[in-house]
Amino acid sequence: MAHLTSRRGLLFGTAAVSAGALLAGCTSNESSDDPAANEQSAADDKPGKAVTIGFAGPQADHGWLNAINENAKSRAERYEDVTLEITEGSNDTAQQIGQIETLINKKVDVLVVLPADGKALTQVGLKAMRAGIPVVNLDRIFNSPQAYRCWIGGDNYGMGLNAGHYIGEQLKDKGDARVIELAGLDNLELTQQRTKGFDDALKNYPNIKKVARQAAEFTVESGQAKMAQLLQAQSDFDALWNHDDDQGVGALRAIEQAGRDDFLMVGGAGALSAFQAIKQDDGVLKATVLYPPTMAASAIDLARALGQGKGVGGLAEFEIPASLTLYSAVVDKDNVDQYMPTGFK
Amino acid sequence: MTQPVSPPRGGPDKVTPVSEPPAWRALVFRADVRTLSLLGVLAALIVIGGITKPDEFLDTRNLQLVLTQASVIGVVTVGMTFVITSGGIDLSVGAIVALASVWATTVATQEYGFGGILFTAVIVGVGCGLVNGLLIAYGGMVPFIATLAMLASARGLALQITDGSTQVVTVEGILDLGERDAYVLGIPPLVLVFAVVTIIGWLLLNRTTFGRRTVAVGGNAEAARLAGIDVRRQRLYLYLLSGLCCGIAAFLLIVLSGSGQNTNGNLYELDAIAAAIIGGTLLSGGRGTITGSVLGVLIFTTITNIFALNNLQSDVQQIAKGAIIVAAVLVQRRTASTT
Amino acid sequence: MAPEPPLLTMSGITKSFPGVRALDGVDLDVQAGEVHCLLGQNGAGKSTLIKVLSGAHQPDGGTITWRGETVVLRSPIAAMRLGIATIYQELDLVEGLSVAENVHLGHEPTAAGFVVRGKAARASTAALLKRLGHPEIDPARLVGELSAAQQQIVSMARALSHDVRLIVMDEPSAALDPDEVDNLFRIVGDLTADGVAVVYISHRLEEIRRIGDRVTVLKDGRAVAGGLPAKSTPTREVVALMTGRNVEYVFPDRPPSPVSPAGAPPVLEVRGLAREGEFEPFDLDVRPGEIVGLAGLVGSGRSEILETIYGARKPTAGQVIVDGRQLRTGSVRAAVRAGLGLAPEERKAQALLMLESVTRNVSVSSMSRFSRGGWIDRGAEHRAARAATRELSLRPDNTSVPVRTLSGGNQQKAVLARWLLRGCKVLLLDEPTRGVDVGARAELYAVVRRLADEGLAVLLVSSEVPEVLGLADRVLVLREGRVVHTAPARELDEHRVLDLVMEGSPVATEGSPAS
Repeated sequence: MAHLTSRRGLLFGTAAVSAGALLAGCTSNESSDDPAANEQSAADDKPGKAVTIGFAGPQADHGWLNAINENAKSRAERYEDVTLEITEGSNDTAQQIGQIETLINKKVDVLVVLPADGKALTQVGLKAMRAGIPVVNLDRIFNSPQAYRCWIGGDNYGMGLNAGHYIGEQLKDKGDARVIELAGLDNLELTQQRTKGFDDALKNYPNIKKVARQAAEFTVESGQAKMAQLLQAQSDFDALWNHDDDQGVGALRAIEQAGRDDFLMVGGAGALSAFQAIKQDDGVLKATVLYPPTMAASAIDLARALGQGKGVGGLAEFEIPASLTLYSAVVDKDNVDQYMPTGFK
Repeated sequence: MTQPVSPPRGGPDKVTPVSEPPAWRALVFRADVRTLSLLGVLAALIVIGGITKPDEFLDTRNLQLVLTQASVIGVVTVGMTFVITSGGIDLSVGAIVALASVWATTVATQEYGFGGILFTAVIVGVGCGLVNGLLIAYGGMVPFIATLAMLASARGLALQITDGSTQVVTVEGILDLGERDAYVLGIPPLVLVFAVVTIIGWLLLNRTTFGRRTVAVGGNAEAARLAGIDVRRQRLYLYLLSGLCCGIAAFLLIVLSGSGQNTNGNLYELDAIAAAIIGGTLLSGGRGTITGSVLGVLIFTTITNIFALNNLQSDVQQIAKGAIIVAAVLVQRRTASTT
Repeated sequence: MAPEPPLLTMSGITKSFPGVRALDGVDLDVQAGEVHCLLGQNGAGKSTLIKVLSGAHQPDGGTITWRGETVVLRSPIAAMRLGIATIYQELDLVEGLSVAENVHLGHEPTAAGFVVRGKAARASTAALLKRLGHPEIDPARLVGELSAAQQQIVSMARALSHDVRLIVMDEPSAALDPDEVDNLFRIVGDLTADGVAVVYISHRLEEIRRIGDRVTVLKDGRAVAGGLPAKSTPTREVVALMTGRNVEYVFPDRPPSPVSPAGAPPVLEVRGLAREGEFEPFDLDVRPGEIVGLAGLVGSGRSEILETIYGARKPTAGQVIVDGRQLRTGSVRAAVRAGLGLAPEERKAQALLMLESVTRNVSVSSMSRFSRGGWIDRGAEHRAARAATRELSLRPDNTSVPVRTLSGGNQQKAVLARWLLRGCKVLLLDEPTRGVDVGARAELYAVVRRLADEGLAVLLVSSEVPEVLGLADRVLVLREGRVVHTAPARELDEHRVLDLVMEGSPVATEGSPAS
């Protein structure tokens, strides 16, 4: 144990991994101190009225969720007029409700909430709105539009759609193309939406057939296990869409272990390791479809704008919109440099 | 004062050779029937796999795949079998695997290379097992509660270390071990480790004083104590052993997935307990079988494999898995009771 | 007996289990209103017979005639519907439910078919308890809070809650003290007066004499005698039928001269040993070859003394010295290492690994002798265990069978063999013949005496005074945790000991083996 104790400080300080293991030799070590890519804020940078923003999110037990927190924090730090009250992330609905109520009692000016469960937290969103605190609902949507002033989030259906279109375009000249899908946790609605979008897009390409689909669990371990089985089941296919870059680490490991390189792979979410692999362009991973954690930075911008009574720059309206669905851009070799700073670990 | 009885003191029985009596065979035969029924289930699965997907299922690569996938949970199950045989339970195995796998794959640990990763994974596993063992054996805590607490703490610590991110391994030696080039006579190194752990586990349980004490403690802890066995020390060793197995499994998982993640080992506790119980180990303690546990693991892994090869979705998989657990246990009970 | 047809006739009942023929053509007839006693050693088939009668087992052959009609008892419920109720030795009550809920378990008075009418259940339960002479038991109390005797009353109330014509009682007096036994007999008397028949199973002949009408004796799955008059058949004849021999308590002769000379150093010395609230400080020496007995009633601290000497309990004062070396108190391992061995009172709970073979039960305390570096030489283990069990004539002569298949006496021998194999110097015996058949006792006594003659020191505890007097060389009499008398066994008789343990009280009942 002595050995472990002496090293603990080091371990905790350096949890980050800077380079993708599968890309040994990769040297693109972009600084990621500010993960938000677009430096422009939604309203404007001019200092205004001081705003206190309360932020409540789930436990950061996944790379993407951790990136959400980082984006929110670093964006808030950029503004001298913004004070961020951030709660300890929790996956427990009751606990998160308590945390938001505390923020309401503290009379923060604006709330940004990424609920552990959108439906279950609707009531506390309503409560905040009734107390006169505008709520920016991040990603997982509340049941009622009355519970938020503005919703901003990703587009799961669009992710599948864009992944399907990208693969379709790549394979459009190939007769009888075969495609497989490595989905995320099957009991989440978002997984079903992603699959539906993917299937809908593929309908535009009669030459393509989806021959297999297996669901992993957003973890490296499950990604490796399910991909290994898929590879064994399908000795010949042309493209693979993997819903999540985290489980993609495991999937790529399985592909490497099976010694396969006869297909193209498209990822999902936008992890740094995926971007680096795409840039390197020496493996099967050719593109990934974004589900950008930068939405948290935008949410802070929107919250600040709400607190200061500003609109969104570039729009004719005085008020910021009630809902913003982000575009799930496809990142491939051509535009990966632009997105590199937004990649999460 | 009586002398310790050593070979029969003369008398008419002196030259009687030790021939194993029929009842002895009956006992072994019964154990065999239990194992045979598991083999029967496995054979049935193989037939199903062979019929539905002859090309993909009946294939050397698939055999390698199934055995590799079974290795990680298999090593955990061997440790779990000992704990359950002693009348205990270890709910923290999955969390220990997660903690060991992330601790062993931090940037700092990776600087120490292959040895550093292996050493850290094993030491973290043993360390967690030590804490479990001390709490249960000397702290008087119920195994269920002590290991539940360890589950929560180890998962929390794993999350703290990673911040939820995936720690990718860059140490070549580790990565190479999971590649096809590293296979020894067609056997993946992970499977070799699994085999070695299984054999050592079997010998330990069936041929050593350690195994006897484990069974005695599980069968009747009070009788074991009054027979002069140090029950508390035995319990400590058992949780240490389970922790050690978790450490080894964590290392295998690092090799297999090329990374460490705080979500690793998800629900391993349930898979390991289920495999052990299906295998014939008594949940109440006093009887344990490594062979059965390993067959249990193989049955589970084969089911998953057949499902994936047939492209069945998660919902169907879960329903069928539950049904097969029930069927396997029923078949076993029937065959055991009709002997 | 009236010449009317019997209430129940079982004829030619056979029942086999894998490897055992438990019942081999048993006949039994029971008249309404009689107490029919069933006698037999353990393994004679009593339990199987009553399980057939209660519908728990299906017979392989034979017929059951109930009130003139041939019936098949497919399940306990079927038997109950006919009016046959069984009170098992191991009470089958649910501790977490109330008395009333237990009594009506499975046939609750209900409204609309499923709503349990708690009040009605409690009222009828109260009436039953009153009839059983225990109106003080509150029907609303949890069964787990009741004493063993009270639980038995509840069990009986449950049987009576059905319209019963025949009640089977399996050793009902085993857990009762003398007062409660009297009450039990009163209840049995009331029942038979109402025309209910009772099949009564007991080991205690004097009980059978008191309440029994007729006796059927079982041996090895056969009824060796049916319908003997319970009051007048001589004990010697009954025992002979049960055992096939004409013995009851036969004690081995003491050696003509002490194994160790009078001045020889004791192997076990106890000095001022005490445990607060259990027993007061006392001294004790046991020499090699000597059997010392502790006599006393339940609760006199006998078992506690043995367990404290053995290190299973930590004394509040005093020392235990073996071979001149003081033991670390409260450590079983220290005691075992010094050469102590205990055959505890509750063999199944405290000594035996019931799922394991005889070999493993015998070798468990000596594993290091057959192992090198933790590796067990199973051949050597098997041979040694076999040698040790043969020394004690353990039956069957096969140490690979599971220990649970042995009879009580042979299980006890397995425990003795464990310590014999270990080479222990002092054997502590706590109720060595509890659960051992009458016929097997004499053999066990002989074994203990022989071990002593070979130099073993034995400390014996028993609630059966004749056993202590017959087997021990020297006796310590205990009353309420105090040693009140020490004398050579020859100088004491049963009455004197009972006087001492009960402080002049005239009752000369053996301490009941209630725990």
